[in-house]
Amino acid sequence: MSLEKFIEDFEDAVEDVEPGSLNAGTVFKGLRSWDSLAILTVTDVVEMEYGVLLNKKSFEGVSTVEELYQLVVHKR
Amino acid sequence: MAKSTFNRIQIGGVVTCVPPLEKCIDDEVELFGGNLKQIARLKKTIGLDRRRVVEAGTTAADLCYAAAQRLMVARALGPEEIDAVICVTQTPDYSQPCNAAVLHGRLGLPKTCAALDVNLGCSGYVYGLWLAHMMVSAGGCERVLLLAGDTISQVVHPKDRSVAPLFGDGGSATVVERSECESSAWFSLETDGKGFDKLIVPAGGARCQSSAQTRAAVMDEAGNVRSPENLFMDGAEVFNFSIVEEPKAVRDLAKYAGLELDAVDYFVFHQANRYILSNIAKRLKLDPAKVPMRTVERYGNQSSASIPTALCSELQAVLTEGDSHRVLLSGFGVGLSWASVILNLGALPVCEMIEYATCE
Repeated sequence: MSLEKFIEDFEDAVEDVEPGSLNAGTVFKGLRSWDSLAILTVTDVVEMEYGVLLNKKSFEGVSTVEELYQLVVHKR
Repeated sequence: MAKSTFNRIQIGGVVTCVPPLEKCIDDEVELFGGNLKQIARLKKTIGLDRRRVVEAGTTAADLCYAAAQRLMVARALGPEEIDAVICVTQTPDYSQPCNAAVLHGRLGLPKTCAALDVNLGCSGYVYGLWLAHMMVSAGGCERVLLLAGDTISQVVHPKDRSVAPLFGDGGSATVVERSECESSAWFSLETDGKGFDKLIVPAGGARCQSSAQTRAAVMDEAGNVRSPENLFMDGAEVFNFSIVEEPKAVRDLAKYAGLELDAVDYFVFHQANRYILSNIAKRLKLDPAKVPMRTVERYGNQSSASIPTALCSELQAVLTEGDSHRVLLSGFGVGLSWASVILNLGALPVCEMIEYATCE
């Protein structure tokens, strides 16, 4: 898995996020559309694409897209 | 493993009753703090829209009673032809006696008829069908009346965005009876009690009795309001449970039945919400046309009544006309509990939705 692909998947999963608008350092929790629904849609895409099941706690310890990526890499 | 197979037992009719009062998420702008965009996203992504809710004084037992009456008239069944009644509900009229006994009396069923409640929610309809099949299979019961219904709208706090716009009310009646036809049914039933607190009404039972404190509503960190006597749902955990366990349960059951998933004509899941259902369908690579998932947007998540509502509203034409179909029914939720069945369903003399009339 690559960080670039992960960012694309993340952009795809979250509402109102244009493709190419995020980068590794983006603090996703600061996105206007980041809420409990976004947690579901990101959990869904991560499980489908990477076979890793995140839970609410997983999101508590990370704030940038790259940190979330590293967490998924670690859990794989 | 709780798996079982039955033959020559069939479903002989289903009726679901919903209250006439319709609520719509579009009318609840205040609940969402004026955030119209969030409402639009919930409609688009989760499939929330309209739901039916009871007015004060109407209970799940009333809805089930109306459904049972309609079913018995449509099937021309007399009370003496019912050997057992099972009531699946988590919103009974009384903590005791059970709804099945109360409804047994209201329906004028004979003293020779067994009656019991099952305290399950979203998985309860399939559990009820399993019990009914076992009762017929074991002998002594030719025909079992399965009543499944809930009024979860009365248990949620109206200011809890995580549950209030989701749940609707309904009551159903299904007849399960011995048949001369070859008609196999394969069941699987599972539980994860470690997840008991993911969907829970924490207070008001014996563990934490009702008091002024348990009736006091408080606001959580997300801004949702509820008391310990209201339903709490950990949505993210329930979602994870659903997308992991349901596809697995469906695959396992098909394997147990010796069937490919392609051999199943319809997959009728508990109508939790469209997002969960489309996810399960995607993971199982099912043809979306075989998976009814529009019940929530019309009626809300109806707990134990959601599968019968999906049958009566989305598959009514299919199930009343022509041949029998191979159908998979699968419920999952509070417990955590989940149960699935593959059975033959079709050519039903009655499969319909009715509206509750208060004068009943």
